[in-house]
Amino acid sequence: MSISDVLSPFTAWKNLFRDPVTIKDPLNERPGAARYRGFHKNDMDKCIGCGTCETICQNGAIDMLPVEGIPAVQGDSGLRPRIDYGRCCWCALCVDVCMTGSLTMSNEYKWVESDPDLFRFTPGVDKKYWDNAELGYQRHDEKHLMPVAREEMPELHPEARLDSFVEIVQGYNIEQAKLEADRCVSCGLCIATCPAHMAIPDYIKAVRDGDYERGVQLLYETNPFSQVCGRVCTHCCEDSCAARHEGDPIAIRWLKRHIIDQVPQEKVIELIGKPAAPTGKKVAIIGAGPAGLTAAFDLARLGHAVTVYEAQAAGGGMTRYGIPEYRLPYNALDRDIAVITAMGVEIKYNQRVGTDITMQQLEADYDAVVLAIGLHQGRSTRIPGSDHPQVRKAVDLLRQITAGETIDVPKSMVVIGGGNVAMDIARSMARLQLQHYGEIRVTLTALEDKAHFLADPVEIKESLEEQINILDSRGPQACVIDDNGKLLGLKTWKVLSIFDAERRFAPKYDPADEQIHEGEMIVEAIGQMADVSLLGDALTEKLEWNRGRIQIDPNGRTSENWLWSAGDCVKGPDVINAVADGHRVATSIHRALTPQEATA
Amino acid sequence: MQQLYDTLTQRFSLGEFTRQRADLAFITVEAVRLHALLRHLRDQEGFTHLVLLTAVDWLEDGQFQLTYLINNRAKCQDLGLRVMIARDNASMESIHDLWAAAATYQRELREMFGIDFPGSPRLMDDFILEGWNAAPPYRRDFDTLEYSRATYRERPGRETRDPAAHMKQQLYGDKGDV
Ligand SMILES: Cc1cc2nc3c(=O)[nH]c(=O)nc-3n(C[C@H](O)[C@H](O)[C@H](O)COP(=O)(O)OP(=O)(O)OC[C@H]3O[C@@H](n4cnc5c(N)ncnc54)[C@H](O)[C@@H]3O)c2cc1C
Ligand code: SF4
Ligand code: SF4
Ligand code: SF4
Repeated sequence: MSISDVLSPFTAWKNLFRDPVTIKDPLNERPGAARYRGFHKNDMDKCIGCGTCETICQNGAIDMLPVEGIPAVQGDSGLRPRIDYGRCCWCALCVDVCMTGSLTMSNEYKWVESDPDLFRFTPGVDKKYWDNAELGYQRHDEKHLMPVAREEMPELHPEARLDSFVEIVQGYNIEQAKLEADRCVSCGLCIATCPAHMAIPDYIKAVRDGDYERGVQLLYETNPFSQVCGRVCTHCCEDSCAARHEGDPIAIRWLKRHIIDQVPQEKVIELIGKPAAPTGKKVAIIGAGPAGLTAAFDLARLGHAVTVYEAQAAGGGMTRYGIPEYRLPYNALDRDIAVITAMGVEIKYNQRVGTDITMQQLEADYDAVVLAIGLHQGRSTRIPGSDHPQVRKAVDLLRQITAGETIDVPKSMVVIGGGNVAMDIARSMARLQLQHYGEIRVTLTALEDKAHFLADPVEIKESLEEQINILDSRGPQACVIDDNGKLLGLKTWKVLSIFDAERRFAPKYDPADEQIHEGEMIVEAIGQMADVSLLGDALTEKLEWNRGRIQIDPNGRTSENWLWSAGDCVKGPDVINAVADGHRVATSIHRALTPQEATA
Repeated sequence: MQQLYDTLTQRFSLGEFTRQRADLAFITVEAVRLHALLRHLRDQEGFTHLVLLTAVDWLEDGQFQLTYLINNRAKCQDLGLRVMIARDNASMESIHDLWAAAATYQRELREMFGIDFPGSPRLMDDFILEGWNAAPPYRRDFDTLEYSRATYRERPGRETRDPAAHMKQQLYGDKGDV
C-alpha cells in the first residue's frame, strides 16, 4: 500500500469547505443551469422585426405581429415575434439565427397558468418575471448561422488604375455572387428604404438559384437603370439591411450588377417583352437623364408615343456627363439606354429646348410634357478672383472630359468642395495629370472636418490611394492672382464652425491660420442648380415655385396641368431617386391620359 | 498517428488520412474493409473502446457518411474511421460482434437515418421515437416544419404579418393620384 492510498481519505476532507455542487433545498429552489434554454427574452431596442426567427422555427411556433408603440421605420418593420409555447420545443434555433442578438433565453422554466392562451406571448412586450434574468442561453459570439463578412469585391489596385479611366470595380463571379447572396435572409426590410422599392430579396434569391433571366425580369419591374444603379447607386437600402447589425450588410448593389452583367442585351429586351398597343397619346420629355428616360420607358411600355429632347450628343444625363468612366463605363450606360429605346422611345439628341424648340411648341404638339433637366449649372463660391478664366466649375469640366474635348490640363490644381462631385473631378484630373506630366498634384479643400465629410468613405479612401491631397476644415477666401493676371492658387482660412446656433450656413474662420494652396487651376465643386432659362418668361411667370424650385404635387405635376417635372431639378439627390421619380410621373401621366371609367 | 497509418497501409487498402490533432485522426475506408480493420485495431493496436458511431447525410451526393470513433486508452488517442455508403436502400455490415454497444448505435441510426444493419440485435425496436410513422427525421430531406404543421394542431387565434408587406402598407403603399 502506498502512502498516498493511506492519506487519500483525509485529502477528501478538504472538500468539506468547498461550495456544494448539489442544491441545498431542492424542493423549493431549483434554478436552471447557467446556459439552460428556458423562457425567451427579447430586447425591444435591438429587435428589428425581421422575422428570421419565425422563418427558422421548425415548429411553426412564432408569429410576427405589430406592437402598440413600436411603429414601422426604415430598417425596422415594427413587428415583434410572438411565441406559442404550445408548439415551442426550446431548440433555440431562433436565438442562434437572430439577426440582432436581441432574442435570448433565460434559465427560467417554471410558469403556471390556467388559461392556455397566455402561453402565447411576445417576449419583451408582455412583461415576465424572467425578463431581467442574467443567466440562460445566449448564442456564442462566434456561432453565427449566417456568415457575417461580405464577399470581397475584386478591384483594381491604385497602380493598375491610376493612368486610365478603366473601371475599378471588377464585379463578382458566379461563385462569389452565390456566396454573398447566401447571406441574405430574405426578410425584405430593405425594400421600404429603396426609393424605387426594388424586389431586393427576390432578385437576390434569383442569384442563389442561378436564375438570371428571372433576376432581370425582377430588376426591370422597378428599375430600367440596373447597369447604372448596379455600379453607382448610393445603396441606402444597405443601411437598412438586417445583416448589418451583426456583420456587413448584404452587397445589394453588387448583386444587382451581377445579375444584369450575366444576361446579354438582346435577351434582356426579349425578357421584358413588347410594349402595349399604341394609345395614340404623345408625350414629350425634356432631358435624357435617369428621371426622363425612366418615365419614357414606362410610358412607352404603356403604349404612349414618347419623344425625348436631349441637349447633349448622348443620353444618361449626369450619369454620363458627371460620373467618371472609372466608376461607370459608358458601354454599361449604353446598354441600359438601348433597352429603353428598344421600347420605341425616340431620343432627339443635340436638341436644346428653349433654343432649338420652345416650351410653347411642346405644349401645343404633345398631350403631356415632362421636365427632367437635372442640375447642370455649377454654383460659385463668389470669392474674390473666382471670375478668373482658370477658375472652373466641376460639372463643366466633367462634361468636357466625357465629350472628349481637349482640356488644358494644369500641372497643379485645387478643388473646392468635400462631396462626391469634388472627389470625382479631383480623381479625374489626377488621371489626366498622370497621363500628361507623369505626376499628380491635386489639392482638395473641404469646409467640413474629416468626421463630417460629405463624400462617401469609399470615395475618400480611394482618393487618398490616388494621391489626392485632402485638406479638411479649410474655408476658401480668395483666388490668388499675380500682377500679370496669372492664377497662382487658393487662399484658405481654417474653419472654426460651419453652422450657427439655428443650423443656418454661417461659416466662422480663424484668419490667423491662413494657407495658400498652389494651383494653376481652381475647380469649384460646391453644388449645382437647374438652368431653367428654357422655360421663357411667360411660363416662368405662370408656374408656381417653391424656394427656387418648380412647385410639384406628390405625383410630380406642376401647377400647369400639361407639365410634370421629375428628378434632380425638383427633388434629387441621386440616380435611384430620379428613377423612382420617373415612375411616379409616368403613372400620373398615364392616369391623366387614360379616360377613367365612370365611378358610381 | 501518421506512424499508425503507415503500418496499417501495409496490411489494408485505405483512403484519405486526416490528422486533426496530435491525438485525433480520421481515415476514410471502403465499407467492405471496415470490419476487418476495426478488428485489427481493437485486437492489435489497442483501440479497445468504441466511443461512438454516427452518420452524416450528404444528400446532394446521394451518400451517407458513417463515422466510427474508437479510442486507445493507453495512448490517449482517438481514431475516426469514415465510411461512405449509398443513400438509397442504405445498408451496412453490423459490428455488434466486435462491440456489443454498437447494437444500440445501430438501432439509433436505423431509426433516425433509416440505415439498415442486417443481423444487429433488436434493430427494429423503437429507440426514442415511439410510434414514428414518417420518414427518418435526421435525413436532410425530412421537412421538420411540414411534419410539425401536419402533426400538431394549430391553436385558434394565430395570425402573422410579412415584414415587407407590413412596411409597404405602413410606410409607402400606393396612395393613388392626389
Ligand atoms: C459628378 C457627379 C457624380 C454623381 N455620382 C452619383 C453616384 O455615384 N450615384 C448616384 O446615384 N448619383 C450620382 N450623381 C447624381 C446623379 O447623376 C443625378 O441624381 C441623376 O443623374 C439625376 O437624374 P436626372 O434625370 O434628374 O437629371 P440628369 O441626369 O442631370 O439629366 C438631365 C438631362 O437633361 C438634359 N437637359 C438639361 N436642359 C435641357 C434642355 N434645355 N433641353 C434638352 N435637354 C436638357 C441634360 O443634358 C441631361 O442629359 C452624381 C452627380 C454628379 C454631378
Ligand atoms: S426555441 Fe425553437 S421551437 Fe421555440 S420558438 Fe425558437 S426556434 Fe421555435
Ligand atoms: S430574428 Fe431577432 S431581430 Fe429579427 S425579428 Fe426575430 S428577434 Fe427580432
Ligand atoms: S438584403 Fe438584407 S434587408 Fe434585404 S432581404 Fe436580404 S437580409 Fe433582409
